[in-house]
Amino acid sequence: MKPTARWIPYFLVAPAFTIFAIAILGPIMATFGLSLTDWNGFSTPSFVGFENFTHAFHDKIYMNSYWHVAVYVAATLILEVVIGLLLAGLVSSKSNTTFYRVAFFTPVMLPLVVISVLWTFLLNPDLGILNRLLGQLGLESWQHIWLGDQSTALLSISVISGWIFAGFYMAIFYAGFQRIPSTIIESARLDGATEWQLLRGIKIPMIKNLTEVAILLCFTGGIQVFDLVYVLTNGGPYDTTQVPTTYLVRVVFRDQQMGYGSALAVILTLVVVAVGLLYNKLRTKDDLVVEY
Amino acid sequence: MKRNPIFHIAMMMYSLIYFVPLLWMALSSLKSNEEITMNPLSLPTSWDFSVFGEAFISGGLGKYAINSAIVTGTCTSAVLLFGSMAAFAFSRLKFKFSKQLMALITLGLILPLQSYFIAQNALFDFLGIKDTRMALILPYTAMGLPLAIWLFRAYIQNLPKEIFEAARVDGASDLKVYQTILIPMLKPGIATVAVFTVLSAWNEFLLALVYIQNDDLKTIPTGLLTFSTRYSTNYHLLFAALTIVTVPMIIVYVIFNRKVIEGLTEGAVK
Repeated sequence: MKPTARWIPYFLVAPAFTIFAIAILGPIMATFGLSLTDWNGFSTPSFVGFENFTHAFHDKIYMNSYWHVAVYVAATLILEVVIGLLLAGLVSSKSNTTFYRVAFFTPVMLPLVVISVLWTFLLNPDLGILNRLLGQLGLESWQHIWLGDQSTALLSISVISGWIFAGFYMAIFYAGFQRIPSTIIESARLDGATEWQLLRGIKIPMIKNLTEVAILLCFTGGIQVFDLVYVLTNGGPYDTTQVPTTYLVRVVFRDQQMGYGSALAVILTLVVVAVGLLYNKLRTKDDLVVEY
Repeated sequence: MKRNPIFHIAMMMYSLIYFVPLLWMALSSLKSNEEITMNPLSLPTSWDFSVFGEAFISGGLGKYAINSAIVTGTCTSAVLLFGSMAAFAFSRLKFKFSKQLMALITLGLILPLQSYFIAQNALFDFLGIKDTRMALILPYTAMGLPLAIWLFRAYIQNLPKEIFEAARVDGASDLKVYQTILIPMLKPGIATVAVFTVLSAWNEFLLALVYIQNDDLKTIPTGLLTFSTRYSTNYHLLFAALTIVTVPMIIVYVIFNRKVIEGLTEGAVK
């Protein structure tokens, strides 16, 4: 429609766009600019070209942080998406499952910092209940200093992440399952299909689009994991749980290397965008599946 | 459908994974520090609730909660108002540069926080707004707007065109249409966007960590972290703090669970 007065659309868009431009658009461009400089945050930035990027690719901690985040994403694909899918299959196979759906989703809406602090206690070697329970079951050899041991820290973070977000993916998949026409489900049941066959043969194939979205979310969200790692281990022990975001915060706010930090931020941004674009390319469009 | 006790027993067992940590947290806040270290699994011997008052007042949790409420309330109102205004213009009105402006705003959906927060930090330093509530309200609003505009636009495009055309015939201006027709029809969308914005702002951690050093202005996530360092060995006070933060949220969530789950999943899947 043509607006009733020419100024109206601009008036409507102006507040939102101004705030967005000041707080996000401008800083994005400035961060890209800063990545080409050497700057400690106080002096005048000096132009160094792509030196920061060369440095980044030789920075062992930074390069390893991508390896750690890859392990984390792989683990959470199973602990969040696959378990979420199974839980959705379970809660959609019976009626009256509201209670479970509400319970499993609870950690998703709590602050990650609060959950992380709680888990540092649950996994605390002295007063945490996990080691205590293992001890009472006679499994002393399974006890660990979960977050302080190089061999278990990253895995522990992934498991905690699974505890939080499996319910989130369950909710997404459950909503998808609810949109499958009930006649299809009912006729399959009449034909004697078991719930497992129903899930594998009908429900999962019919929400293929949604599964793809979930995997993408798990990827892009996982690469940016920060709160959990910062509170649980802050990259330790010995940088074995260092992920790109925690290292970035260390470089920028502890070491005061704004220029180098910006370069690390630019690399991270490009990785996130590349994963998103690549994934969009690989996704197959299929008209038979249910749209979310 | 036939009842299936095995199914429900198995599901209840699985639910324990969620209930046990939260219950342990709540019960531990009622125990003394000795009890917590000696017998982490035991029940409290006395039921003394004064620890909650202590955490709330002398621990500063009340202060953090008020800060969170002010920041979250302000940025959510701004996101709902400015977001719906912009979405109306983008979806129903023709104007120059509308496609380009929308494309720029869509960038905000894809780009991670890390792509701008270093320069944003420098900008806020320059503007002298670090350690003020504005340092959180401004970025939280900006971060909420792209999703709000995106979702509102989808809702508006699903509304029948004829309603807007009929109002036009009756001589209403676009601003009048926005106020009297669009806002009432947008209510379900507003609820979804509000849930998503409220929870993102309430739970946001990284920017709050970087921009707010003044303890009197900290929000719940950073405040709780400060609290946990300050009282790192006062376990029962710490558990009380965790309980105070989580229990009200869980109660609100249980009441509005459908809206919360819908809001968070729709917001993420978009």
